[in-house]
Amino acid sequence: MKPAYFEFQNAVKLLCGQNALERIPDELRHLEAERPLLLTDAVLLRLGMVAMVQDTMRAEGCAPAATFSDIPVDSSLSVVNRIAAVYRESGCDSMVAVGGGSVIDSAKGARLVLSHDTDDILAISGIENLRCGRHIPFIVVPTTAGTGSECTGVAVIRNEEQGIKMEFLSPFVEPDVAVLDARMTLRLPARATAATGADALCHAIEAATCLQSNPLSSAYCHAAIQLISANIIRAVQHGSDADARLNMALAATMAGIAFSNSMVGAVHAIGHALGGVCHVPHGEAMGILMPHVLRYNLPAAAESYARLLPEMVGWEKAAATPAQMRGEALVQAVTDLLGQLHASAGIPLRLSEAGVAEQQLARVAETAVNDGALIVNPRAMSVQQVLDLLRGAL
Amino acid sequence: MRRRLQAVIVAAALRLVHAALVALQRLDPEVAGELRRMPVGMTYAIHTGHNAPSLFVEWDGQRLLRIPHPEQAALCTLRLKALAISFRLFTGQMGLAHAYAQHAFTLSGEIADVMRLARLVNRAEAYLFPPILSRRILPELPELPVSRLRVYARTLIGFLQSSC
Ligand SMILES: [Fe+2]
Repeated sequence: MKPAYFEFQNAVKLLCGQNALERIPDELRHLEAERPLLLTDAVLLRLGMVAMVQDTMRAEGCAPAATFSDIPVDSSLSVVNRIAAVYRESGCDSMVAVGGGSVIDSAKGARLVLSHDTDDILAISGIENLRCGRHIPFIVVPTTAGTGSECTGVAVIRNEEQGIKMEFLSPFVEPDVAVLDARMTLRLPARATAATGADALCHAIEAATCLQSNPLSSAYCHAAIQLISANIIRAVQHGSDADARLNMALAATMAGIAFSNSMVGAVHAIGHALGGVCHVPHGEAMGILMPHVLRYNLPAAAESYARLLPEMVGWEKAAATPAQMRGEALVQAVTDLLGQLHASAGIPLRLSEAGVAEQQLARVAETAVNDGALIVNPRAMSVQQVLDLLRGAL
Repeated sequence: MRRRLQAVIVAAALRLVHAALVALQRLDPEVAGELRRMPVGMTYAIHTGHNAPSLFVEWDGQRLLRIPHPEQAALCTLRLKALAISFRLFTGQMGLAHAYAQHAFTLSGEIADVMRLARLVNRAEAYLFPPILSRRILPELPELPVSRLRVYARTLIGFLQSSC
């Protein structure tokens, strides 16, 4: 259904498929950049992934001017400020981020600090409050297929002091170019493939069914869910299957474009709180919470869940399901898929498996109700309702 | 002329929402609890359009004060993009969640603070608007422990006192 009013923006150029990496220098030239700062993490450096990007950039005449690889699993405000300092000290004029959500979001944060000439990103936090600022060319090479951050106008950054994840929402957060190259995800371990894939699935489901859903973002959601349900098990069980890998990368990007334009919902609100308070990895939190939150939302979202069923289970099976059962069937199909991912990749299905203790739940619930993603969830949620849901997932 | 009328109505609605929250602090445990958890010194500003009414409130730990002429920027500033949109919001044609979904405002400050404000305003609207309207604009109709009539009466007294 068309909302009374909606907006949609996606200005990211997508380079997808064969030799995508090798095209980065040409893109930088078009963006009038010569001295990129390469941002990544220590694991990718050790695995030789960074060397692969550096070599291809050097070979095509645009070697990074500096490399910063000290980005932890959870991006944080202090890391953002440090990156900005390195950028200034090294005389860089652009950024290339190679990594997962944390690297990309840290880069986005640093880019905001630099383009708005501030020393502290907290000073510019908000929703759509930013001016465009100085343009800093920014290319993103995701090494997971999940966050979709390569195409979103959102940066999620951890505030260490308050133990919360802060969201910065602005179209000016979007990168200029996103590079999807199967070589970058071929070595992603099965568990991380499953968890990040669950994150992408969650983006697509929440973006299609929340209050901000719109016809354009929904189109991306449907396509993403179809690709995920057809490829995720293959990508987990046969990591070197380049076709499955690229399909997952594409699905994650499409789901990212979708939620960047229609937000997410309670799975993310509670998941962000679990990340902030208990350090549960984002994708794993999504996998644990999805069945519980989808079931909670079912009374208000059955119709919109039903519309997603054909993408999830195929048209034959969806058509054979009685119309009034399709919403419930979608929730069951998601639960079954997560069960398969648990069996084949070991992602947790319960909060206790992820190391969460009962006494932490109250703080998680209090944090979750203050997360912006909750505002567009199909059903309202009080602290007590979040707490009950968390107890059910323990 | 139409814009001027909208401005007058929105200005009154802003003060009415403030008066309702002050009344509900005494009457409704949810609102009282929400305010108690608010950091002392928290300030909110709501701007409803270009050259349009605005509201500035401060929580001093005891009361939610309306500050007619604030000297500093608020810690959390909501800027609605046009008076026509504010009019829809404050006359019960659109809820806060839908305003967010429709990119109706920008925020300077922390999103967590807007969530607090949204819960308070939603609660006030659940009392102020008849259920048939509230059902359309609120994500869910909460159970209300106090009668609407009592809230109306207290709100009206507060509203009139603040006009004197
Ligand atoms: Fe996510």
